[in-house]
Amino acid sequence: MTKLAQLQASFIKDCLSGPINTDNISLAKELDTSSISAQGLMAIYQNSAIANITSSLSLSYPVVEKLVGKDFFEQVSRQYIFNHWPTTGNMDDYGEKFPQFLADLAQAKHLTYLRDVAQLEWLFHQCSLAKDSIAFDWTLLAKVAPADALQLNFILAPSVALIKSTHAIDKIWLMNQDNASQDIELSLDDDNETNIVLFRQELKTEMMTICASELAVLESFANGQPFAVAIEAAMASITAMDAEISIDLILKKYIELGVICAFSMS
Amino acid sequence: MQKIQGVGISLKHQHFHEFIENKPDVPWLEVHTENFFSQDSTASKYLAKISQDYPVSAHCVGMSLGSASIDCPIRERHLQSIKKTIAWLQPSLVSDHLSWSASADGHYLPDLLPLPLTEEAFDAVVKNIKHAQDVLQRQILIENPSTYLTYVDSPITEWNFLSSLAQETGCGLLLDVNNIYVSGHNHGFDPLEYLQNIPLTAVKEIHLAGFSIDNVEGKKIYIDSHGHRIYDGVWQLYGQAVKRFGVLPTLIEWDTNVPELSVLLAEKAKAEAIITSVNSANNEPVCL
Repeated sequence: MTKLAQLQASFIKDCLSGPINTDNISLAKELDTSSISAQGLMAIYQNSAIANITSSLSLSYPVVEKLVGKDFFEQVSRQYIFNHWPTTGNMDDYGEKFPQFLADLAQAKHLTYLRDVAQLEWLFHQCSLAKDSIAFDWTLLAKVAPADALQLNFILAPSVALIKSTHAIDKIWLMNQDNASQDIELSLDDDNETNIVLFRQELKTEMMTICASELAVLESFANGQPFAVAIEAAMASITAMDAEISIDLILKKYIELGVICAFSMS
Repeated sequence: MQKIQGVGISLKHQHFHEFIENKPDVPWLEVHTENFFSQDSTASKYLAKISQDYPVSAHCVGMSLGSASIDCPIRERHLQSIKKTIAWLQPSLVSDHLSWSASADGHYLPDLLPLPLTEEAFDAVVKNIKHAQDVLQRQILIENPSTYLTYVDSPITEWNFLSSLAQETGCGLLLDVNNIYVSGHNHGFDPLEYLQNIPLTAVKEIHLAGFSIDNVEGKKIYIDSHGHRIYDGVWQLYGQAVKRFGVLPTLIEWDTNVPELSVLLAEKAKAEAIITSVNSANNEPVCL
């Protein structure tokens, strides 16, 4: 290893090894410490890197930051970063494990909804980065023989994300947007199952709260299962709230919304 | 690809709608390339709309041109992502920093880390810049970073290091006047001496930004935070830079605590006033 490579390896090791203290600075003899100690110098860089990464987390998890407050968010982010340093320069990919990290955090145990809100935000973030989909070709579908219809695999657009929670995370998310409507009300009664589909239309990510049977259909498609299996899943998920469901209408609705973008034959 | 001139500003996502709806009078915009790696992303779609009305410059933060090894998979993947982005964005200028982020043993720290200014580092940066220019098929500009530490073994001045890089690789220089001011304070060199030793023809763009002040072990350290208005001392140094290098594309950079667009536009107006003032005092750019 060249001298420069060695120096850079030591620099990174010092920054990634945890909070800087006087005992763990392998680079110390390389630094001009005439006015500030090696500890002080390396801490400037470690803090700067942590601030950059925290900014990325803040962009991906703005509602979580609002819910827990800026100071707590920074403190939690610092803990997360020490356990999950970025591995590339593409910060769009960073922060996937943050929701579970929050769930495991003793200080946030009482915020039972926090992990699911964070997961919803991560899915929003992924949705905004997803590839565009092609428009659904109705003429191709019209050519499918009725007998073959149950074997079709419907394909969801790349931006589509599905999430279910035992908390009203849709309302929590909406109430914490910059221009939140004052009409949203949240009560303890809202804490029953919430099913959500996210999808992108033009420049906006849309969030729709859907019934269990619709979620079951979309989950089946997401898992690559044929239409026949999706129908069975929908029937098994019918609740009192879904007095009547029409699979045909579900299919039509999600094709028109761009949630379903194509199909293939099993 | 349109040529850029005059005083541009950083394009931040907080201002996307304002640029699309109100089309404020700004001659060009600069974006962080890394925020637009996915061409289909919502942010890229906004940028595609905005770039129909404004020339754009692509400023990168992750090429890690100071990494010791040219065979660094993290760097190579990053460079390929930049290549894809500039292929659709067609920016007027592409720039990155005299710094490193990726180590040869596969680790990455998202910051502009300082290099020891040695012959060995010079050779590594030359190889990396040449490689980047080959991959991107264009000249890139190298920016002087703000630094907060120096190495015991660092015998070359930053201005000589940068000047030699421009000569050896054909890269241009992006002179960040705020960074000169910040590093000058932190390391005790004279910012004017820095300016005087940068070759006139190498500089293709200037950056201006605000810094913050930290107290580290009783010493005031200036930190390049890009979250404040530009300091008076930096404006004065900018006037000297305009005198020396003439009127170059100048950017008002703002990345943290992003304010209303009007604040950036006010800083832009200040830079324009300095250019006008220097030009009216001297019809020709004057060497210091």
